[in-house]
Order: sequence, then C-alpha cells, then structure tokens
Amino acid sequence: MPQTHVQRADRARSLGQASQDTAAELKAATAARLRAAHRAGRRRARLVTCVLVLVLLALLVASVLLGGVRRIPAGDILPAAFGMRTGLADYVIFRIRMPRALAALLAGALFGLSGALYQRLVRNPLATPDMIGISAGAGAGATTVLLFAPAVPFGTSLAGIGGAFVLVAAVLALSRRGGGVDTYRLVLVGIGLSAVCTAYVNYLFTVAGQHGIAQVMRWLVGSVNDATWEGVSTLAGALAVCGLCTALLGRSLGSMALGDQLALGLGTRVGAARIATLLVGAAAAALATSVTGPIGFVSLISGPIAVRLVGTDRSVALAVPIGAVIVLGADVLAQHGPVISPVPTGVLTALLGAPYFVWLILRRRQGATP
Amino acid sequence: MKQSASPAAPPAPVPARPRASRGTVVVVLAGLMLAAVTIASIGLGARDISPLEIVRILLHPGAEGYNGDVLWTERIPRTLLGLTVGAALGASGLIMQALTMNPLAEPGVLGVQQGAAVFVVLGILFLDTSGVQGYFWMALTGSAVTAVLVFLIGTRTNAGSSTIGLVLAGVAVAAVMSSLITLLVVRDEAVYAHLRFWSVGQLTGRGQFLGQAIPFALTGLLLALPLGRTLNLLSLGDETARGLGVRVERARLAGAAVAVLLCAAATAAVGPVAFVGLVAGHAARMLVGTDHRWSLPLSMVCGAVLLVGADTAGRLVIDHGEVQVSVMTAFVGTPFFVWLARRRDLVRM
Repeated sequence: MPQTHVQRADRARSLGQASQDTAAELKAATAARLRAAHRAGRRRARLVTCVLVLVLLALLVASVLLGGVRRIPAGDILPAAFGMRTGLADYVIFRIRMPRALAALLAGALFGLSGALYQRLVRNPLATPDMIGISAGAGAGATTVLLFAPAVPFGTSLAGIGGAFVLVAAVLALSRRGGGVDTYRLVLVGIGLSAVCTAYVNYLFTVAGQHGIAQVMRWLVGSVNDATWEGVSTLAGALAVCGLCTALLGRSLGSMALGDQLALGLGTRVGAARIATLLVGAAAAALATSVTGPIGFVSLISGPIAVRLVGTDRSVALAVPIGAVIVLGADVLAQHGPVISPVPTGVLTALLGAPYFVWLILRRRQGATP
Repeated sequence: MKQSASPAAPPAPVPARPRASRGTVVVVLAGLMLAAVTIASIGLGARDISPLEIVRILLHPGAEGYNGDVLWTERIPRTLLGLTVGAALGASGLIMQALTMNPLAEPGVLGVQQGAAVFVVLGILFLDTSGVQGYFWMALTGSAVTAVLVFLIGTRTNAGSSTIGLVLAGVAVAAVMSSLITLLVVRDEAVYAHLRFWSVGQLTGRGQFLGQAIPFALTGLLLALPLGRTLNLLSLGDETARGLGVRVERARLAGAAVAVLLCAAATAAVGPVAFVGLVAGHAARMLVGTDHRWSLPLSMVCGAVLLVGADTAGRLVIDHGEVQVSVMTAFVGTPFFVWLARRRDLVRM
C-alpha cells in the first residue's frame, strides 16, 4: 500500500509537472499568437492606409483634371497646381480646383476624425457630431457671423467653434439624467436642438440679401463650391492640431475602452480625458463645418467602415483617410457624375449615408461597439 | 401601454370621461384661446390698424380703402388658413402618437412632411402641377409612401426602443428626402430659391390658397372626429382591442390614412411645419386626459391656437419683415421635444 501511495504521489507530481509545462507552453503560444495577431493587424492597417492614400491621390488628380482642361497645355497642369503658372491655367487649376479638392479632402478627414472620436467615446455608432447636433450648432454660429460681421478675421471659424461648444454643452447638460448620459437620449436631444439651429439658419436664409443667400445656402446643404486657399489653410491647421491632440489622447482612449474602473486603475484621468476628447471632436467638426457647411453623414459612416477594415483599436486613425476619400469622392461625383451633376457635395453624402444609417439602425446588435 | 395580466380582470374598456365640470372649463378655455388668437391674428401685423377701424371694416365688407384690402385679402384668409392647417396638424400629430404609442410621433419629426414636399416638387417639375389642389394629390401620395417607409424601418430597428427607432428612421428618411429636393431643383437657381422658400413652411402670401385648401382639410378633420373611440380601444393593446371586437389592422389603417390625409392637406397648403402636432397632441392630453373622444377635438383646437399664435408672434418679433411660422414653431416645439426626450420612461434599453 505505501508503495502504491508513493507511486501515486510520483505520478501526481509528474502529472502536475506536465500540466505546468503545458500551461507555460499555452501561455507562450497565446502570447505568440497575440503578437502575431497584433503584427498582422498592423500590417493590415498599413496596407489599408496605403490603398486609401493611393485612392486619395487618384481622386485628387481626377478632381483637378476632369472637366475641360483641354485649353490648358498638359505641361502647364502640374506647375499650375503649385501656383507656378499665370493666366487661365493659374485661375482654373490653382484658384478654383486645387482649393476645392483640398478643402473636400481636409474637411472629410476632420469629419471622419470627429465622428470616430465620438463613436469611440460614447461607444455607439449613432453618436456623431451631425447626429447630436454639433454640426448644426457650428453652422448656426458660422452663418450668423458670415451674414452680420463678415469682416472679422477668422470670424466664421471662431463662431463655428463657439456654436459647436455651446451646443455640445447644452446637449450634454440636457441629456444628463440620474447621473448618467444615455446615448439615445443624447441623440434625441441632439435631434431636437439641431431642429432649432436649422430653423434659425432657414430664417437667416429668408432675411439674407442677394449676396448672402449663396452663403447661407452653403449652410443648408454642405458644399465645397466656393472653397478658397484661406479655407484650405484653416482646415489644414485644424487637422494638424486636432490630429496631434488625438494622438496625445490615444492611450487614454484605449484604456477608457476597457471601462472606467479599469481605465482609472491604469492611471487614466477619465474625466479630463473624456472632456478633452469631446472638445477635440467638437472643434474638428466645427472647423470643417465652418468652411464647407454641414456635409452630412460622413462622420457617421467613416468610423464603422474603419472598424470593419482594421478593427476597433486603429479605427480612429483610419477614419481620417476614409472620411477624406468619402468627401473627395462625393465631390468628384457631384461635379462630374453622369446625369446628376453639378450638385452640392452634401446632397450626395446624405443620399449615400442615410441608407447606410438605416442599415446601421436595422442591423446593429444591442451593446455592440463600433 | 400595460395590459392586464389576468384574463379574469380585464382593464376598463375606456378611460373614464373627465368630470363634467372640468370638461366645461376646458371647452370654455379652448374657445377663449381660439377667439383670442383669431382676434390677435386679424388685429396685429406690420401695418397698424386701430381696433375701431377693424370693427368698422368688418361691419362694412364692401367699403373701399387700403386697410380694408389688407384685412379682407390678406389677414382674414391667412388667419382662417392658419386655423385650418393648425387643426389638421394637431389632429394628425395626436392620431400618430396614439397609433404608434410613441410620444415623439409627429408628421414633421417622422419625415412625413418632407416626403410630401418631395412629391410636390416632383409634380411641379415633371407634371406641371400648380395650385393647392394639384399639390394636395402629390403631397398625399408622398405622405403615404413616406409614412409606410418610416414605419417599416422604425418598427424593425434595434435602437433600444421602438420610440427611438421611429424617430431615427424619420431623421434618416427626412435627410434623404431633403437631399432629393435639392438634387431635383439645384440646377435652376430661381426654382431653387422659390422652393427653398416654400420648404420653409409659412403662411405669408398663402391666403389665396384658402378656398382650395379648405375642402381637403375639412374632409380630414371630419373623418378624424369619429376616430376617438377606436383610438381608445387600440390604446389598450392589440389583444384586448381584438377581444373587444375591434378589427385591429383595419382600424389602424383607417387611423393612419386619416393622419396622412390631414398631414398632406396641411403640407400642400403651407409647406412643412414641424412640432405643431407634437405639442398640440400632448397639450390636449394634458388638459383632458387619455380619452381620445375628448383629446382629439381638443388637439385640433390646440394646433390651431399654436399655429395662429406662432404666426402672429412671428409678425411682431422683428420690426421689418417677419419670422416664418415654421421657424417659430421650431423654437416653441424644440424645448418641448427635449423635455419629452428627457422623460424617464422614454428611453428604455
């Protein structure tokens, strides 16, 4: 009997050894698999980014070249794009088409960024600046300054940001209830407040003079028709600053995705990071809106597309080029598409985006995150 | 709507009628409000006309004079049109709220009016439609198509609760519809400007449509009046209503048809005006409770008071020119919408 006992203990020990070995192996294997997945994810993200950049370049070229460049010598087009020609080439390419294409690209990037930030933060694909009324607030602010104080330098951009911040504050305050903010209440309150802003812009449209009507029209349906180099530089600056802020916030965003408790444990100042994210997202949407008007549904669809392409972790960064592709593509289509052109860019993004939105609310599983 | 769990104890067939005294008070109050806004709308405006002069003009319809012209050709038709359209929108809102059991339902919020507008634009562009009569049939088609679309999408959403799903579906459909309008008219600057003006609902210069709009609106209102009992039964839930002998699908369809008819008549006459139905429906229910035999007529009165009141206020808030009635109703209606959206029982996850 004692022998058997020893034997049994032996066997148990060796078994334990074996299970420890397997556990270690398993751990190592899992870690390796995770690393591989991470690497694969990074490779995939890189690949997708490269493809998007190529598409963007192609769209840029198309946007500059399409439509009656025959009277401009082919050799003049590239120099003209950088402002190194005079006369017709300079006027058509440098003064009209380049700013338009770049404004579409940059505004799309900003809409994509702000949408992805809000979707990430609220963890709901519906919580985007145009759904919760931020774009409408920015439009109302920008239109007011444009009509009544057009001479103020950077007036429209600043008023756009002002309007957006006021609106985001109002929406957050009004949708807070019982200590928490409910996404759906957020969206409903946003829909209500955007109705007021839209009514106000509608009203401005009817009191605006002949000159002002074209300006207000842009805020009723977003368009990059009258884009200028000033607008482009505003957008570029905005993208640089907001992009930098997003990069700085990236780690906090990542840890907040794990839930507030874990994020606090990881040393993230959740409250401050959340407010910072809200402000960066609102500023990005507001600046884009102040230059192009509300180009609807771009911020809504960029984020989910990015998630689908590369997964949640890298989606915020990828939403930027995706938004740019959407708006620039919609603008090329709006200018040169068969039958329909020319139309304001915002019409096309709404026509493409709203059905996607419907699909989103029909298909979304409860609790799914973007 | 809650249903009684035990079959042995069915819920009361209809909510109790408000006490007679309260009913009288509400009726008198509603009549007074209606009279007040009517008098204000006829008496107040950009041109100051003294009350005595107004009484004199009203007593002598044939009398000459500029003031008489202003009154007979502009203010009085405008006021009557406002009363009719307001009543139609109010009833439409209440019926939609009752049928969908959704406190946020309303022809403007659900995008039904935008759908009506798209069809009116299509009619103007391709069928040479003109006048309210032509607009009406297009608006009716558009309202019906949009209502079906929004309802189909809204009831199939996964957005937490059907209340929110319906609103989100309405927002999406409205966005598509207004993009379609822009797409259709954008190439002609003049038409674009004109339609932009039409698509901001207002009563300015619509007085001449009164005669054309009245038949449709009145038909809708008369058809709506007997719906109260059916709506009461439907609000008990499908099972109970069926048990009480209601053909639920047919009753729903009839109610929806009347709501769409009312919405189309209003939209064809003055363009889309949101939030009147929302506020009127809730105001009526707050005043007399959930019995639709009472709240339905009252929602008409509330809608009329709200629309004419908003229109009159819009004429007075700025010195030169005026604020369109749809802008005014948005400013009045939005706080109400937000207040409803904040209610605890609205957002169910």
